[in-house]
Amino acid sequence: MIEAIDRGAGSNRSSGARSLIALRGVSRIHDGGAIAALRNVDLQIREGDCVAVVGASGSGKSSLINILCGIDYPTSGHVVWEGRPIRKKSDWVWLRRLRIGVVFQEFNLIPTLTALENVELALLGRGMSAKHRYTRAGMVLGRVGLDHRPHHLVTRLSGGERQRVAIARAIVSEPKLLLADEPTGNLDSISAVKIADLLFHLHEMTGMTLVLVTHDDALAARCSRQIRLRDGAVVDDTLQALLSGTVAPRSKI
Amino acid sequence: MNLVSLALRNLKRRPVRTFLSVVGIGLAVGGALALMSLSRSIADSAREGIAEIGGDLIVMQRGTSDIFGGFIPEATVGRIAAISGVARLSGMLVAFAPSGVAGNVLAFGWPDTSYLWKKIPLREGRVPATGERHAAVIGDAAAASMGRKLNDELELFGGTFRVVGIAGYASTVNRGLVLVPLADLQEATYRPRQVTIATVTIENAADRSELARVREDIEALGDVIAAAPDEVLDHDRNFAALDALSRAVAIIAVAVSALNVLTALVLATQERTREIGIFVAIGWSNGRIMKSIVIEGLVMCAIGCGLGVLMSFLAEYAFPRIPAIGNLISFKPGVGLIAPVVGAAFVLCVLGALLPAWRAVRMLPAEALRRM
Repeated sequence: MIEAIDRGAGSNRSSGARSLIALRGVSRIHDGGAIAALRNVDLQIREGDCVAVVGASGSGKSSLINILCGIDYPTSGHVVWEGRPIRKKSDWVWLRRLRIGVVFQEFNLIPTLTALENVELALLGRGMSAKHRYTRAGMVLGRVGLDHRPHHLVTRLSGGERQRVAIARAIVSEPKLLLADEPTGNLDSISAVKIADLLFHLHEMTGMTLVLVTHDDALAARCSRQIRLRDGAVVDDTLQALLSGTVAPRSKI
Repeated sequence: MNLVSLALRNLKRRPVRTFLSVVGIGLAVGGALALMSLSRSIADSAREGIAEIGGDLIVMQRGTSDIFGGFIPEATVGRIAAISGVARLSGMLVAFAPSGVAGNVLAFGWPDTSYLWKKIPLREGRVPATGERHAAVIGDAAAASMGRKLNDELELFGGTFRVVGIAGYASTVNRGLVLVPLADLQEATYRPRQVTIATVTIENAADRSELARVREDIEALGDVIAAAPDEVLDHDRNFAALDALSRAVAIIAVAVSALNVLTALVLATQERTREIGIFVAIGWSNGRIMKSIVIEGLVMCAIGCGLGVLMSFLAEYAFPRIPAIGNLISFKPGVGLIAPVVGAAFVLCVLGALLPAWRAVRMLPAEALRRM
């Protein structure tokens, strides 16, 4: 079905700012209603956007990212990819394999594999030859500045290097959407700046849509759009403010 | 890298987990093989012993509850000899004899003229001469366990026998035998002119109808039945009880081993719940994840089964060297036993890997990623 979504979506690419992914009335309730991680969220991420999702701890940022990549499901409402609602689990599998890359705060790498092997994992089952996978994984590691340590076990890498591996794994399939959940949260300040630079660089060079969850206001300020969450609800969205004319346009929008 | 090399890398780089899982599977398979083999070997050892002594038919008292429990008058043995088609026969008195040094030993009493004396595979010495009394030929395992050698004295039923020969039988039961003249054993057991069984050799044993005819003629004498050597134990209540016990032991062994195999695989897979969440997050399908987990389980199972079979062969080597075991039963884990045990282990390994993997892929991926 998603292939159909993709094909159908091609017809209006000329618009330039078409919706890539959107949430429609999404709520995420835990513990039988005791905890509302997200409350009736309506949100649209456009192709090419660079979005920072900010908010205090427990505001629903990670829940939002989890739902945007389909590793968690809304209790109510639905997610729309390029204009088509995503309803089946297999659609999410397809999207994560080819269209959505995810970078986590905890890296989520396989500790028994090397940097190169972790990146290669994302290419398994894509119908590529082993040689092609190996070459491509190595090339992407080079793009994130890790071409000097491809064969090191990830447990032997520094936090910054591990996050580079995670980014390489997320972008190796050339996704349209890169989701990064607190990507600098576990890094020292120098590594954090380098990883942030890398993410923005990839966004600028490839045009992939970047959604970044962060606590760091300075990092958020580097994004062209900020969405602020509080108690599971969107309380501020600079895009809406821009569209309604209450703030000056940013250069990247 | 493919799914197989991924599994191999995972196993190689988690040596402790791999070692413990493989050893768990190996112990389960080896334990099952050992216990099942031992339980089978009780009856098998007896059958081997009977087969090695020889004869086409074994004659015993009708209605007797076990092979050694009945008695046949020597006169009946003489009447059997007169049946046409009987090439040769020998009566045999069987008793468990207190030996003083090694508890009870299995003693056979053969008539002085029995052809069975000539069939003894003597390793040393000779057989008792006709009319010679209180002379014994003992199996090599019996000699070793009782610490007796040629010309030593041996106590049986309170009487003294001289060891005149050491036999080199192949079967475990016969290696522990003590063979004495029939008259001596009849006297010692207060069974004059009686034997326990008779072994009969038929002139044309290959002819089934001839064998059946002789069998009928023997049984027509009354009070006796004739059975082929491999059928003899079928009428024996003691062996039926042992067989039931063996089956019970085998069932317990298989159940415990199955649980061990399942536990090893379930724990090894459960530990990987977070990894499974990572696979989901990077777009792996449930099928691919399950395949990867099962391949890893199968590799561990193959190594574990190899280890288990190796352990069973080590037991095969070691057990006969332990007198308390080796003198009574043989221990031979053959292909007929190894194949079903290993096959069952593979099925269990697939299940043991699939069940937790199935649970993990059904889990919300975000939840799986939160697992440590």
